[in-house]
Amino acid sequence: MLASIDWQYIADHIPDLADGLVNTIKVSVIAIAGAFLIGAVLGAARAHRIPVVSQFAACYVELIRNTPILVQIFLIFYGLPRLHLHGLLPNGILLTPFEAAWLSVMVWGGAFNTENFRAGFEAVPIRYREAAQALGFGSLATFLNVTLPIGGRIALPSSINTYVSVLKNTSLLTAIGYTELTSTASSLASFSFKDVEMFFVLALTYLALVWTLSALVRLLETHLALPERA
Amino acid sequence: MADFFHLPDWAGPVARYMLHTGLPGTLRIAVFAVLGAAIVGMVLGTLMTVRFEPVRWLIRLYIEVWRGLPIIVTIFILYFALPDLNVRLSAFNAASLGLILWGSAQVAEATRGAIQSVPREQHEAAAALGFGWLGTQVNVIFPQAFRRLLPPLVSLLVNVIQNTTIAALIGVSEVLQSGQRSVERLQFVPPGDSHAFEIYGAVLVMFFVISFPLTRLAAYLEKRLV
Repeated sequence: MLASIDWQYIADHIPDLADGLVNTIKVSVIAIAGAFLIGAVLGAARAHRIPVVSQFAACYVELIRNTPILVQIFLIFYGLPRLHLHGLLPNGILLTPFEAAWLSVMVWGGAFNTENFRAGFEAVPIRYREAAQALGFGSLATFLNVTLPIGGRIALPSSINTYVSVLKNTSLLTAIGYTELTSTASSLASFSFKDVEMFFVLALTYLALVWTLSALVRLLETHLALPERA
Repeated sequence: MADFFHLPDWAGPVARYMLHTGLPGTLRIAVFAVLGAAIVGMVLGTLMTVRFEPVRWLIRLYIEVWRGLPIIVTIFILYFALPDLNVRLSAFNAASLGLILWGSAQVAEATRGAIQSVPREQHEAAAALGFGWLGTQVNVIFPQAFRRLLPPLVSLLVNVIQNTTIAALIGVSEVLQSGQRSVERLQFVPPGDSHAFEIYGAVLVMFFVISFPLTRLAAYLEKRLV
């Protein structure tokens, strides 16, 4: 089986696959950064029960977590241009594949991250916040200096799992024609009939990415573990 | 006001098509994938606790590979690459198998955790009563582990149901694909509006209606059983 693999074809197309990989990483990095911000802000709103924002965040989280990401991607890329709102938006909201790509995985990751950070912030002992207030910190300063660094660390393992899922979910962007790794490999496979070669390389690349990230997580976890819990 | 509640002309046939052709397809693939993932996952998760190390390594490898790969990549391998190695699967079988591989890896990991949370003394007590390995697992350990396993199991199965939409990408007839076909058809019907927002929005709502009660159930079980 290994003997029949066309290694030369793989070698010849490494530059194409590398371009795809770069796009995968580009979208992932933007989406992960966005998901971090969404998670930190909305997670804080949930944990501190800030009116209106907290309820909005709860609806957002439930909507995203209870619907398939592929349908969300379709709705953002194919649906938004057809959203006219009875003439309010005559041309709808037209996004390029790249914009729809990072937006959809970011919105997805942000919802999961909101839950991760909410749980993390809620796990920060109340006496820490009381101590900060006793030192004269205001509520924003307390959040930035006490709740965020400690709660963020508690939320770290689960939020990194979310980031790994964000990376894996970028493969679904094939469906809207964004040329990331999966769509590059599958279009090369369909031109050349070298399906075994292309999907073999594709699978190995994802495993390498995901396994490296998971190993990094474990390193980071021991490094950032809170002294009290270690 | 009455007109507001009256569905436009295009919606009737689309809704009928999606409910009669798409929804049964989604349910069919979901039943296979959910049952397969739950059964294979619970068996593998239980085997993860045996003393014989090679078995544990093999299952660990299975879990890491199928959890590490994006589901769409697994399904593409099964559907596009396996025929070159003379294994031919229909689109439906390839998608179901891909979902089972991914789902069972997730369930196996959850099962292992649940089983290891059963205190050691339970094993010793079962051994003292004369149970063998299988008897201990079936009669003593698994029933206790199952209480812990149930909440994450329900959430994982909700994920499996949502991921059945990936089957649309290899042409399996299910809800998302029936929506896609309706959008394409409407584009060629004057005045040429595909109504993509309404149609994909409806698909989103359908999955929400299925998933939301199940995730509430998982949260309720978490409170009651753990």
